[in-house]
Amino acid sequence: MTDEPYRWLEAIANRREYIRDQLKGASPVFAFSRPEGILLCGVGVGQSKVFEVYDRHALVTLGHPVDIEKVRQTLIEAAHLEGFTRAPEDVTLRRLLSASLGPLLKNAFEQIFAAPLLIELILAEVGRTPDQDVLVRVGYDGTPRFIKNSIVVAHTNATDEQAAVDWLSAQVQPNAALKDVGRLALRAEGALMSGKPFASPPTEPNPIAKERVIEMAILERIEPNRVHYRSLDASTIS
Amino acid sequence: MTGDFLSLLPARQEIGTAQKSTHSLPTLEATTVFAFHCSEGVIVAGDHRATAGNVVFSDKTEKIIELDRYSLLAIAGSPSIAIEMARTLQTAFEFYRRSQLQPMSLSAKLRALSRLLRENLPATLQGFGVVAPIFAGVDASTGKPSIYFYDPLGAQFEAAAYAGSGSGSPSIKSVLHFHEQWGNPKPAQMTLAQAVALANRLLITAAEFDTATGGVNPVRNDFATIKLLSPTGIRTIETIEQSQHWRASGP
Repeated sequence: MTDEPYRWLEAIANRREYIRDQLKGASPVFAFSRPEGILLCGVGVGQSKVFEVYDRHALVTLGHPVDIEKVRQTLIEAAHLEGFTRAPEDVTLRRLLSASLGPLLKNAFEQIFAAPLLIELILAEVGRTPDQDVLVRVGYDGTPRFIKNSIVVAHTNATDEQAAVDWLSAQVQPNAALKDVGRLALRAEGALMSGKPFASPPTEPNPIAKERVIEMAILERIEPNRVHYRSLDASTIS
Repeated sequence: MTGDFLSLLPARQEIGTAQKSTHSLPTLEATTVFAFHCSEGVIVAGDHRATAGNVVFSDKTEKIIELDRYSLLAIAGSPSIAIEMARTLQTAFEFYRRSQLQPMSLSAKLRALSRLLRENLPATLQGFGVVAPIFAGVDASTGKPSIYFYDPLGAQFEAAAYAGSGSGSPSIKSVLHFHEQWGNPKPAQMTLAQAVALANRLLITAAEFDTATGGVNPVRNDFATIKLLSPTGIRTIETIEQSQHWRASGP
């Protein structure tokens, strides 16, 4: 089958369709580069969306839990090996993507006889100033997009994802408090999950279902210790 | 996906763990590090001198190393190996916490250090790689900070009140024993200010009898490295704060 170009293209197209279908209904995730650091948030079941990767690095993701775990472990292993063999300053998203995560996702996507990884994610690296922050939107096929905007959304529908970014860019004020940014993210989450046009998102965050929790963390910009990641108490915004 | 960084290293054929190190640095010996309980937690302190034989290598050496937010290592012995051990443990503890989404237990941290010391046995027996550290950590289940000291082969012992290591430690342990027996207040009852002043006095006392201990001279505003380990984590007592406590402690 792989010897025939048409069948190869067809298999890849079917694969894209399968992945999108499987990811449909997944709750979106958000990343905001703020003066205090990088805010990451999503709605999950607890320790299911937002993860620490390394001293200045974090991951916020949606997809199948087993695939998320595989990607998470891969990133953590690569980051710690790089930081140990060289130095923590040498751990960068660009290196993690090119040497570790990118090949993993691309291979998984193109191995058409094996199950693909069902995952969409945002990677974050906090810098000394907001200009130095790195936010990368990575798709299930391993394609990285280094985002210049200070707001990144990962959702299963590209059109709605862009609508959410546009709406949040208009709503988030430069000096907004983190809790206000978090509330706006939850309003956007509610709009994306309801599938309604983004022109009129709910004025309040959607009520969170009993089994689901708001997961929030920040990569703090100024941190006297090596570890910049800190989980936030979501009750402050709900 | 066991969270064991030490087994990940050889599996990925990256640079070896401490036992495979082939350091050729000169053997630096002698130092003074110690730890004792005070009313706010555990004080871990050390001097700044590194020596090779009768040569003073440096008077700016940092011997108290933060392994994570709740663990401190005070190193004594061969610094090349001790510092590599500290770096390995730093990475191993954080790797476990991030990959397993829970912190490593205090018992596991203690065993990780034991394992590195045991794997360093060839260098220890050859005499150029002896490491005898002090470990201070907080037990997450009780929130209680504890002090442990090790022999160079990896045996670990919990210190009830204090521990010391390095060539200057006999003087310090004698003074701490005296304070424990007849002091008023005893070190464990001391405020942070009293404990910080005591730590500097202990190092000055040790330096009086041990040429390999030095780098602490309050007159020149040179103070010890002092860190406080409490149930909320680690706090470095900066020079300016030590200076205030030193002046407040009297002549």
